[in-house]
Amino acid sequence: DSTAGSSSDCKPCPCPGGATCAVVPKTREVVCTNCPAGTTGKRCELCDDGFFGDPLGQDGPVRACRACTCSDNIDPNAVGNCNRETGQCLKCIYNTDGFFCDRCKEGFFGSALATNPAEKCRPCSCSPYGTVDQQTSCLQVTGQCQCLPHVTNRDCNACEPGYFNLQSGKGCERCDCSPIGSTS
Amino acid sequence: PRPDVYPLPAGTNLLFTQSGRIEYVPLEGYSMKKSEAKTALHLPEKVVVGVAYDCMEKMVYWTDITTPTISKASVQGGDAIPVITTDLGSPEGIAIDHMSRTMFWTDSMKDRIEVASLDGTQRRVLIDTDLVNPRAIIVDPVKGFLYWCDWNREAPKIEAAHMDGTNRRLLASEGLSLPNGLTYDPQTSLLCWADAGTHKVECMDPTQNDRRSVTEAIQYPFGLTAYGKNLYYTDWTRNAVIAVDRQTGREVEEFHPQKKSRLYGITAAYAQCPSGQNYCSVN
Repeated sequence: DSTAGSSSDCKPCPCPGGATCAVVPKTREVVCTNCPAGTTGKRCELCDDGFFGDPLGQDGPVRACRACTCSDNIDPNAVGNCNRETGQCLKCIYNTDGFFCDRCKEGFFGSALATNPAEKCRPCSCSPYGTVDQQTSCLQVTGQCQCLPHVTNRDCNACEPGYFNLQSGKGCERCDCSPIGSTS
Repeated sequence: PRPDVYPLPAGTNLLFTQSGRIEYVPLEGYSMKKSEAKTALHLPEKVVVGVAYDCMEKMVYWTDITTPTISKASVQGGDAIPVITTDLGSPEGIAIDHMSRTMFWTDSMKDRIEVASLDGTQRRVLIDTDLVNPRAIIVDPVKGFLYWCDWNREAPKIEAAHMDGTNRRLLASEGLSLPNGLTYDPQTSLLCWADAGTHKVECMDPTQNDRRSVTEAIQYPFGLTAYGKNLYYTDWTRNAVIAVDRQTGREVEEFHPQKKSRLYGITAAYAQCPSGQNYCSVN
Protein backbone atom coordinates (compact mmCIF):
# COMPACT_ATOMS: atom_id res chain seq x y z
CA ASP A 1 0.00 0.00 0.00
CA SER A 2 1.95 2.95 -1.27
CA THR A 3 -0.56 5.45 0.16
CA ALA A 4 0.26 4.61 3.79
CA GLY A 5 3.37 6.76 3.70
CA SER A 6 6.17 4.68 5.17
CA SER A 7 9.19 3.29 3.35
CA SER A 8 8.21 -0.34 3.93
CA ASP A 9 4.74 -0.04 2.43
CA CYS A 10 5.71 -1.42 -0.96
CA LYS A 11 6.91 -5.00 -0.81
CA PRO A 12 8.83 -6.77 -3.55
CA CYS A 13 6.79 -9.10 -5.77
CA PRO A 14 6.92 -12.68 -4.44
CA CYS A 15 7.70 -13.87 -7.95
CA PRO A 16 10.77 -15.62 -9.34
CA GLY A 17 13.08 -14.07 -11.89
CA GLY A 18 12.01 -10.52 -11.13
CA ALA A 19 8.54 -11.10 -12.54
CA THR A 20 6.02 -8.33 -12.04
CA CYS A 21 2.94 -8.78 -9.91
CA ALA A 22 -0.45 -7.29 -9.14
CA VAL A 23 -2.85 -7.28 -6.23
CA VAL A 24 -6.35 -8.54 -6.95
CA PRO A 25 -8.50 -5.82 -5.35
CA LYS A 26 -11.32 -8.02 -4.11
CA THR A 27 -9.22 -10.72 -2.46
CA ARG A 28 -5.99 -8.76 -1.77
CA GLU A 29 -4.26 -11.73 -3.33
CA VAL A 30 -0.92 -11.17 -5.04
CA VAL A 31 -0.54 -12.74 -8.47
CA CYS A 32 2.57 -12.76 -10.63
CA THR A 33 1.83 -11.36 -14.07
CA ASN A 34 4.97 -12.11 -15.99
CA CYS A 35 6.28 -15.55 -15.05
CA PRO A 36 9.59 -16.85 -16.47
CA ALA A 37 9.29 -18.81 -19.72
CA GLY A 38 7.74 -22.22 -19.26
CA THR A 39 6.02 -21.38 -15.99
CA THR A 40 2.66 -20.02 -14.94
CA GLY A 41 0.43 -19.88 -11.87
CA LYS A 42 -0.23 -17.28 -9.20
CA ARG A 43 3.37 -17.51 -8.02
CA CYS A 44 4.87 -19.05 -11.16
CA GLU A 45 4.74 -22.36 -9.34
CA LEU A 46 3.21 -24.30 -12.25
CA CYS A 47 4.58 -25.55 -15.55
CA ASP A 48 2.95 -24.69 -18.88
CA ASP A 49 0.63 -27.22 -20.45
CA GLY A 50 2.50 -30.27 -21.74
CA PHE A 51 5.20 -29.97 -19.08
CA PHE A 52 5.55 -31.00 -15.44
CA GLY A 53 7.76 -30.21 -12.51
CA ASP A 54 8.02 -28.13 -9.36
CA PRO A 55 9.85 -25.02 -10.55
CA LEU A 56 9.77 -23.35 -7.13
CA GLY A 57 10.52 -26.46 -5.12
CA GLN A 58 7.30 -26.06 -3.15
CA ASP A 59 7.04 -29.77 -2.54
CA GLY A 60 10.69 -30.82 -2.09
CA PRO A 61 13.70 -30.07 -4.25
CA VAL A 62 13.28 -27.85 -7.31
CA ARG A 63 12.30 -29.86 -10.37
CA ALA A 64 12.59 -27.81 -13.54
CA CYS A 65 9.69 -28.08 -15.97
CA ARG A 66 10.14 -30.83 -18.50
CA ALA A 67 7.96 -32.35 -21.18
CA CYS A 68 5.38 -34.96 -20.16
CA THR A 69 7.09 -38.35 -20.29
CA CYS A 70 4.49 -40.94 -21.03
CA SER A 71 6.45 -43.81 -22.57
CA ASP A 72 5.81 -42.39 -26.06
CA ASN A 73 2.18 -43.28 -25.52
CA ILE A 74 0.74 -39.78 -25.81
CA ASP A 75 0.07 -37.68 -28.86
CA PRO A 76 1.96 -34.38 -29.09
CA ASN A 77 -1.05 -32.79 -30.79
CA ALA A 78 -3.20 -33.38 -27.68
CA VAL A 79 -3.60 -30.83 -24.90
CA GLY A 80 -3.42 -31.64 -21.19
CA ASN A 81 -1.24 -34.70 -21.68
CA CYS A 82 -0.01 -34.85 -18.07
CA ASN A 83 -0.59 -33.42 -14.62
CA ARG A 84 1.58 -30.31 -14.44
CA GLU A 85 2.87 -31.07 -10.96
CA THR A 86 3.19 -34.84 -10.71
CA GLY A 87 3.65 -35.69 -14.38
CA GLN A 88 0.88 -38.28 -14.16
CA CYS A 89 -0.14 -39.07 -17.72
CA LEU A 90 -3.75 -38.21 -18.49
CA LYS A 91 -4.16 -39.02 -22.17
CA CYS A 92 -2.57 -42.38 -22.84
CA ILE A 93 -3.12 -43.76 -26.33
CA TYR A 94 -2.56 -47.15 -28.04
CA ASN A 95 -4.74 -48.79 -25.35
CA THR A 96 -2.18 -48.04 -22.64
CA ASP A 97 -2.79 -46.86 -19.11
CA GLY A 98 -0.95 -46.21 -15.86
CA PHE A 99 0.93 -43.28 -14.34
CA PHE A 100 3.36 -43.15 -17.28
CA CYS A 101 1.17 -44.98 -19.83
CA ASP A 102 3.50 -47.86 -19.05
CA ARG A 103 1.04 -50.77 -18.99
CA CYS A 104 -1.89 -51.99 -21.02
CA LYS A 105 -5.32 -50.81 -20.04
CA GLU A 106 -7.94 -53.18 -18.66
CA GLY A 107 -9.03 -55.66 -21.28
CA PHE A 108 -5.76 -55.45 -23.26
CA PHE A 109 -2.42 -57.23 -23.08
CA GLY A 110 1.07 -56.99 -24.51
CA SER A 111 3.93 -54.60 -23.96
CA ALA A 112 3.00 -50.96 -23.52
CA LEU A 113 6.69 -50.12 -23.96
CA ALA A 114 7.13 -51.79 -27.37
CA THR A 115 8.37 -49.30 -29.94
CA ASN A 116 5.99 -50.31 -32.70
CA PRO A 117 2.42 -49.23 -31.86
CA ALA A 118 1.08 -52.36 -33.55
CA GLU A 119 2.95 -54.47 -31.00
CA LYS A 120 1.86 -52.54 -27.96
CA CYS A 121 -1.47 -53.57 -26.45
CA ARG A 122 -3.96 -55.94 -28.05
CA PRO A 123 -7.49 -56.75 -26.85
CA CYS A 124 -7.82 -59.81 -24.60
CA SER A 125 -10.90 -60.96 -26.53
CA CYS A 126 -11.63 -63.63 -23.93
CA SER A 127 -14.30 -66.07 -25.08
CA PRO A 128 -17.46 -65.30 -23.10
CA TYR A 129 -18.31 -69.03 -23.03
CA GLY A 130 -15.00 -70.28 -21.72
CA THR A 131 -13.98 -67.51 -19.32
CA VAL A 132 -14.74 -67.33 -15.60
CA ASP A 133 -17.57 -64.86 -14.94
CA GLN A 134 -17.32 -63.78 -18.60
CA GLN A 135 -14.36 -61.59 -17.61
CA THR A 136 -13.00 -59.31 -20.31
CA SER A 137 -9.56 -58.77 -18.76
CA CYS A 138 -6.51 -61.03 -19.00
CA LEU A 139 -2.93 -61.30 -17.75
CA GLN A 140 -0.90 -58.20 -18.73
CA VAL A 141 1.96 -59.86 -20.59
CA THR A 142 0.78 -63.26 -21.81
CA GLY A 143 -2.84 -62.27 -22.37
CA GLN A 144 -4.06 -65.48 -20.75
CA CYS A 145 -7.73 -65.27 -19.88
CA GLN A 146 -9.00 -67.08 -16.80
CA CYS A 147 -10.55 -70.25 -18.23
CA LEU A 148 -13.37 -72.37 -16.81
CA PRO A 149 -12.57 -76.03 -15.99
CA HIS A 150 -11.19 -78.04 -18.94
CA VAL A 151 -11.22 -74.99 -21.22
CA THR A 152 -8.00 -74.18 -23.04
CA ASN A 153 -6.21 -71.60 -25.23
CA ARG A 154 -5.16 -68.04 -24.37
CA ASP A 155 -8.63 -66.72 -24.99
CA CYS A 156 -10.45 -69.77 -23.49
CA ASN A 157 -12.22 -70.54 -26.74
CA ALA A 158 -11.85 -74.33 -26.87
CA CYS A 159 -12.26 -77.45 -24.78
CA GLU A 160 -9.32 -79.58 -23.78
CA PRO A 161 -8.95 -82.84 -25.82
CA GLY A 162 -11.53 -85.32 -24.59
CA TYR A 163 -13.95 -82.61 -23.45
CA PHE A 164 -16.92 -80.89 -25.11
CA ASN A 165 -19.79 -78.42 -24.67
CA LEU A 166 -17.96 -75.10 -24.33
CA GLN A 167 -21.30 -73.38 -25.00
CA SER A 168 -22.62 -74.45 -21.60
CA GLY A 169 -20.78 -71.53 -20.05
CA LYS A 170 -19.84 -73.76 -17.09
CA GLY A 171 -16.71 -75.32 -18.48
CA CYS A 172 -16.29 -78.36 -20.69
CA GLU A 173 -17.63 -81.85 -19.91
CA ARG A 174 -15.86 -85.12 -20.38
CA CYS A 175 -16.85 -86.80 -23.64
CA ASP A 176 -17.39 -90.14 -21.92
CA CYS A 177 -16.90 -92.06 -25.13
CA SER A 178 -16.51 -95.80 -25.04
CA PRO A 179 -12.77 -96.56 -24.86
CA ILE A 180 -13.27 -99.44 -27.24
CA GLY A 181 -14.78 -97.56 -30.19
CA SER A 182 -13.18 -94.08 -29.88
CA THR A 183 -9.77 -92.56 -30.46
CA SER A 184 -10.05 -89.97 -27.69
CA PRO B 1 -10.28 -2.82 -11.75
CA ARG B 2 -7.45 -5.30 -11.59
CA PRO B 3 -4.09 -3.93 -12.50
CA ASP B 4 -3.11 -7.03 -14.47
CA VAL B 5 -6.11 -7.21 -16.81
CA TYR B 6 -7.63 -4.69 -19.19
CA PRO B 7 -11.12 -4.17 -20.61
CA LEU B 8 -11.50 -4.83 -24.31
CA PRO B 9 -11.24 -1.55 -26.24
CA ALA B 10 -14.00 -0.47 -28.64
CA GLY B 11 -13.80 -1.87 -32.15
CA THR B 12 -12.90 -5.37 -33.28
CA ASN B 13 -10.35 -7.36 -31.32
CA LEU B 14 -8.75 -10.73 -31.71
CA LEU B 15 -9.07 -12.84 -28.57
CA PHE B 16 -6.71 -15.77 -28.09
CA THR B 17 -5.68 -18.05 -25.26
CA GLN B 18 -2.40 -19.08 -23.68
CA SER B 19 -2.11 -21.28 -20.63
CA GLY B 20 -3.43 -19.16 -17.80
CA ARG B 21 -4.65 -16.22 -19.80
CA ILE B 22 -6.93 -14.78 -22.45
CA GLU B 23 -5.16 -12.10 -24.45
CA TYR B 24 -6.43 -9.57 -26.94
CA VAL B 25 -4.94 -7.60 -29.78
CA PRO B 26 -7.08 -4.80 -31.27
CA LEU B 27 -7.58 -4.66 -35.04
CA GLU B 28 -7.27 -1.49 -37.03
CA GLY B 29 -8.78 -2.41 -40.34
CA TYR B 30 -7.19 -5.83 -40.74
CA SER B 31 -3.93 -4.91 -39.09
CA MET B 32 -3.04 -5.95 -35.54
CA LYS B 33 -2.31 -3.06 -33.20
CA LYS B 34 0.45 -4.99 -31.49
CA SER B 35 1.51 -2.21 -29.17
CA GLU B 36 -1.99 -2.20 -27.67
CA ALA B 37 -2.20 -5.94 -27.07
CA LYS B 38 -3.01 -6.76 -23.46
CA THR B 39 -4.33 -9.42 -21.14
CA ALA B 40 -8.12 -9.55 -21.01
CA LEU B 41 -8.31 -12.22 -18.35
CA HIS B 42 -5.66 -13.72 -16.09
CA LEU B 43 -6.47 -17.24 -14.87
CA PRO B 44 -3.07 -18.28 -13.56
CA GLU B 45 -3.93 -21.83 -12.55
CA LYS B 46 -5.89 -22.79 -15.64
CA VAL B 47 -5.06 -24.11 -19.07
CA VAL B 48 -7.46 -22.24 -21.31
CA VAL B 49 -7.92 -23.86 -24.72
CA GLY B 50 -11.07 -22.78 -26.56
CA VAL B 51 -12.44 -19.26 -26.66
CA ALA B 52 -15.68 -17.78 -28.02
CA TYR B 53 -17.25 -14.35 -27.87
CA ASP B 54 -20.86 -13.40 -27.25
CA CYS B 55 -21.30 -10.13 -29.13
CA MET B 56 -24.66 -9.41 -27.49
CA GLU B 57 -23.71 -9.40 -23.84
CA LYS B 58 -20.02 -8.75 -24.55
CA MET B 59 -18.89 -11.80 -22.68
CA VAL B 60 -16.00 -14.12 -23.36
CA TYR B 61 -16.52 -17.87 -22.92
CA TRP B 62 -13.70 -20.36 -22.58
CA THR B 63 -12.90 -24.01 -21.95
CA ASP B 64 -10.43 -24.94 -19.22
CA ILE B 65 -8.98 -28.44 -19.30
CA THR B 66 -7.51 -28.39 -15.78
CA THR B 67 -10.66 -28.31 -13.65
CA PRO B 68 -12.31 -28.97 -16.26
CA THR B 69 -14.93 -26.26 -16.79
CA ILE B 70 -16.57 -23.89 -19.21
CA SER B 71 -16.69 -20.34 -17.83
CA LYS B 72 -17.53 -16.83 -18.90
CA ALA B 73 -16.62 -13.29 -17.94
CA SER B 74 -17.40 -9.80 -19.10
CA VAL B 75 -14.77 -8.38 -21.42
CA GLN B 76 -15.20 -5.08 -19.62
CA GLY B 77 -13.54 -6.67 -16.62
CA GLY B 78 -15.19 -9.03 -14.23
CA ASP B 79 -14.80 -12.30 -12.44
CA ALA B 80 -14.91 -15.68 -14.06
CA ILE B 81 -18.37 -17.21 -13.78
CA PRO B 82 -18.46 -21.00 -14.12
CA VAL B 83 -21.14 -22.14 -16.55
CA ILE B 84 -20.57 -25.89 -16.96
CA THR B 85 -18.68 -27.66 -14.20
CA THR B 86 -19.80 -31.30 -14.27
CA ASP B 87 -19.34 -34.25 -16.59
CA LEU B 88 -16.55 -32.73 -18.67
CA GLY B 89 -13.34 -34.53 -19.68
CA SER B 90 -11.27 -32.38 -21.98
CA PRO B 91 -13.44 -29.54 -23.30
CA GLU B 92 -11.59 -27.94 -26.20
CA GLY B 93 -13.48 -26.12 -28.92
CA ILE B 94 -16.37 -23.80 -28.08
CA ALA B 95 -18.77 -21.89 -30.33
CA ILE B 96 -21.57 -19.46 -29.57
CA ASP B 97 -24.81 -18.83 -31.39
CA HIS B 98 -25.56 -15.34 -30.14
CA MET B 99 -29.01 -15.36 -31.74
CA SER B 100 -30.45 -18.39 -30.02
CA ARG B 101 -28.28 -17.82 -26.91
CA THR B 102 -26.70 -21.25 -26.99
CA MET B 103 -23.20 -22.62 -26.94
CA PHE B 104 -21.66 -25.75 -28.43
CA TRP B 105 -18.49 -27.50 -27.38
CA THR B 106 -16.33 -30.52 -28.15
CA ASP B 107 -14.93 -32.85 -25.52
CA SER B 108 -11.99 -34.98 -26.64
CA MET B 109 -12.11 -37.29 -23.64
CA LYS B 110 -15.85 -37.90 -23.49
CA ASP B 111 -15.72 -37.96 -27.32
CA ARG B 112 -18.85 -35.95 -27.80
CA ILE B 113 -20.36 -32.66 -28.91
CA GLU B 114 -22.74 -30.93 -26.54
CA VAL B 115 -25.03 -27.93 -26.49
CA ALA B 116 -26.40 -25.80 -23.65
CA SER B 117 -27.95 -22.41 -23.09
CA LEU B 118 -25.46 -19.68 -22.35
CA ASP B 119 -26.39 -19.89 -18.67
CA GLY B 120 -25.53 -23.60 -18.62
CA THR B 121 -29.08 -24.91 -18.49
CA GLN B 122 -30.76 -27.11 -21.11
CA ARG B 123 -27.59 -29.08 -21.65
CA ARG B 124 -27.81 -31.92 -24.17
CA VAL B 125 -25.46 -34.28 -25.99
CA LEU B 126 -25.75 -33.76 -29.75
CA ILE B 127 -23.18 -36.20 -31.12
CA ASP B 128 -21.51 -39.08 -29.28
CA THR B 129 -20.59 -41.53 -32.01
CA ASP B 130 -17.56 -41.71 -34.32
CA LEU B 131 -15.62 -39.00 -32.52
CA VAL B 132 -12.01 -39.60 -31.45
CA ASN B 133 -10.28 -36.25 -31.08
CA PRO B 134 -12.91 -33.60 -31.76
CA ARG B 135 -11.39 -30.15 -31.43
CA ALA B 136 -12.53 -26.96 -33.14
CA ILE B 137 -16.26 -26.30 -33.51
CA ILE B 138 -18.01 -23.55 -35.40
CA VAL B 139 -21.64 -22.56 -35.74
CA ASP B 140 -23.39 -20.80 -38.61
CA PRO B 141 -26.62 -19.72 -36.93
CA VAL B 142 -28.10 -18.13 -40.04
CA LYS B 143 -28.07 -21.37 -42.03
CA GLY B 144 -28.43 -23.48 -38.90
CA PHE B 145 -25.26 -25.53 -39.32
CA LEU B 146 -22.60 -26.81 -37.00
CA TYR B 147 -19.09 -27.67 -38.23
CA TRP B 148 -16.32 -29.42 -36.39
CA CYS B 149 -13.00 -31.13 -36.98
CA ASP B 150 -11.63 -34.36 -35.52
CA TRP B 151 -7.85 -34.85 -35.69
CA ASN B 152 -8.00 -38.61 -35.10
CA ARG B 153 -4.71 -39.71 -36.70
CA GLU B 154 -6.31 -42.83 -38.16
CA ALA B 155 -9.16 -40.94 -39.81
CA PRO B 156 -9.04 -37.15 -39.55
CA LYS B 157 -12.17 -35.42 -40.79
CA ILE B 158 -14.26 -32.29 -41.06
CA GLU B 159 -17.95 -32.80 -40.42
CA ALA B 160 -21.19 -30.86 -40.45
CA ALA B 161 -24.62 -31.29 -38.91
CA HIS B 162 -27.72 -29.28 -38.25
CA MET B 163 -27.61 -27.39 -34.98
CA ASP B 164 -29.76 -30.07 -33.35
CA GLY B 165 -27.26 -32.79 -34.27
CA THR B 166 -29.32 -34.25 -37.13
CA ASN B 167 -28.23 -34.57 -40.77
CA ARG B 168 -24.64 -35.32 -39.87
CA ARG B 169 -22.43 -35.23 -42.96
CA LEU B 170 -18.76 -35.78 -43.77
CA LEU B 171 -17.29 -32.75 -45.55
CA ALA B 172 -13.65 -33.75 -45.91
CA SER B 173 -11.44 -36.68 -44.97
CA GLU B 174 -8.95 -37.15 -47.80
CA GLY B 175 -5.71 -35.23 -47.58
CA LEU B 176 -6.16 -34.29 -43.94
CA SER B 177 -3.75 -34.99 -41.12
CA LEU B 178 -4.17 -32.90 -37.97
CA PRO B 179 -6.99 -30.42 -38.58
CA ASN B 180 -6.79 -28.31 -35.42
CA GLY B 181 -8.39 -25.01 -36.37
CA LEU B 182 -11.70 -24.25 -38.08
CA THR B 183 -13.54 -21.07 -39.02
CA TYR B 184 -16.54 -20.06 -41.09
CA ASP B 185 -17.02 -16.81 -42.90
CA PRO B 186 -20.72 -16.11 -43.50
CA GLN B 187 -19.95 -13.37 -46.06
CA THR B 188 -18.26 -15.74 -48.48
CA SER B 189 -19.89 -18.95 -47.16
CA LEU B 190 -16.42 -20.44 -46.84
CA LEU B 191 -15.42 -22.96 -44.23
CA CYS B 192 -11.66 -22.93 -43.66
CA TRP B 193 -9.42 -25.17 -41.61
CA ALA B 194 -5.79 -25.17 -40.51
CA ASP B 195 -3.97 -28.49 -40.46
CA ALA B 196 -0.81 -29.01 -38.38
CA GLY B 197 0.01 -32.24 -40.20
CA THR B 198 -0.36 -31.15 -43.83
CA HIS B 199 0.80 -27.63 -42.83
CA LYS B 200 -1.95 -26.08 -44.94
CA VAL B 201 -4.94 -23.84 -44.60
CA GLU B 202 -7.74 -24.98 -46.89
CA CYS B 203 -11.23 -23.65 -47.57
CA MET B 204 -14.41 -24.95 -49.11
CA ASP B 205 -18.02 -23.95 -49.55
CA PRO B 206 -19.81 -26.64 -47.53
CA THR B 207 -22.63 -26.76 -50.07
CA GLN B 208 -20.28 -27.38 -52.99
CA ASN B 209 -17.28 -29.51 -53.70
CA ASP B 210 -14.79 -26.74 -54.32
CA ARG B 211 -12.07 -27.36 -51.77
CA ARG B 212 -8.93 -25.35 -52.34
CA SER B 213 -5.68 -24.59 -50.56
CA VAL B 214 -5.15 -21.05 -49.28
CA THR B 215 -1.64 -21.34 -47.96
CA GLU B 216 0.92 -24.11 -47.53
CA ALA B 217 4.13 -24.80 -45.64
CA ILE B 218 2.91 -23.17 -42.46
CA GLN B 219 4.36 -24.53 -39.23
CA TYR B 220 2.02 -25.72 -36.47
CA PRO B 221 -1.43 -24.11 -36.55
CA PHE B 222 -3.81 -24.62 -33.65
CA GLY B 223 -6.62 -22.02 -33.69
CA LEU B 224 -8.08 -20.26 -36.74
CA THR B 225 -10.47 -17.37 -37.24
CA ALA B 226 -11.68 -15.42 -40.26
CA TYR B 227 -12.09 -11.67 -40.30
CA GLY B 228 -12.69 -9.79 -43.53
CA LYS B 229 -9.98 -10.40 -46.07
CA ASN B 230 -7.71 -12.14 -43.60
CA LEU B 231 -7.43 -15.40 -41.75
CA TYR B 232 -5.67 -15.34 -38.39
CA TYR B 233 -4.17 -18.48 -36.87
CA THR B 234 -2.23 -19.33 -33.73
CA ASP B 235 0.94 -21.37 -34.15
CA TRP B 236 2.53 -23.68 -31.57
CA THR B 237 5.98 -23.57 -33.10
CA ARG B 238 6.15 -19.83 -33.57
CA ASN B 239 4.19 -18.94 -30.40
CA ALA B 240 2.50 -16.27 -32.48
CA VAL B 241 -0.71 -15.07 -34.11
CA ILE B 242 -0.22 -14.99 -37.88
CA ALA B 243 -2.38 -13.11 -40.39
CA VAL B 244 -2.78 -14.54 -43.88
CA ASP B 245 -4.48 -12.81 -46.79
CA ARG B 246 -7.20 -15.14 -47.98
CA GLN B 247 -6.94 -14.18 -51.64
CA THR B 248 -3.19 -14.28 -52.10
CA GLY B 249 -2.40 -16.81 -49.36
CA ARG B 250 0.44 -14.59 -48.34
CA GLU B 251 1.41 -14.06 -44.72
CA VAL B 252 0.86 -10.38 -44.02
CA GLU B 253 1.61 -10.00 -40.35
CA GLU B 254 2.65 -11.81 -37.21
CA PHE B 255 2.27 -10.99 -33.55
CA HIS B 256 4.34 -12.43 -30.71
CA PRO B 257 2.69 -11.93 -27.33
CA GLN B 258 4.88 -11.03 -24.41
CA LYS B 259 4.49 -14.44 -22.81
CA LYS B 260 6.34 -17.10 -24.72
CA SER B 261 4.15 -20.16 -24.52
CA ARG B 262 1.84 -22.06 -26.82
CA LEU B 263 -1.19 -20.21 -28.16
CA TYR B 264 -4.46 -22.11 -28.40
CA GLY B 265 -7.86 -20.89 -29.50
CA ILE B 266 -8.50 -17.62 -31.33
CA THR B 267 -11.66 -15.74 -32.21
CA ALA B 268 -12.63 -12.33 -33.55
CA ALA B 269 -14.62 -10.28 -31.06
CA TYR B 270 -16.71 -8.03 -33.32
CA ALA B 271 -17.59 -4.49 -32.41
CA GLN B 272 -21.20 -5.32 -33.28
CA CYS B 273 -23.09 -8.52 -33.77
CA PRO B 274 -23.29 -9.62 -37.40
CA SER B 275 -26.81 -9.01 -38.67
CA GLY B 276 -29.22 -11.81 -39.43
CA GLN B 277 -31.64 -14.01 -37.59
CA ASN B 278 -32.49 -17.64 -37.35
CA TYR B 279 -35.40 -19.81 -36.48
CA CYS B 280 -34.56 -20.03 -32.79
CA SER B 281 -34.12 -16.28 -32.35
CA VAL B 282 -37.63 -15.49 -33.55
CA ASN B 283 -39.24 -18.33 -31.62
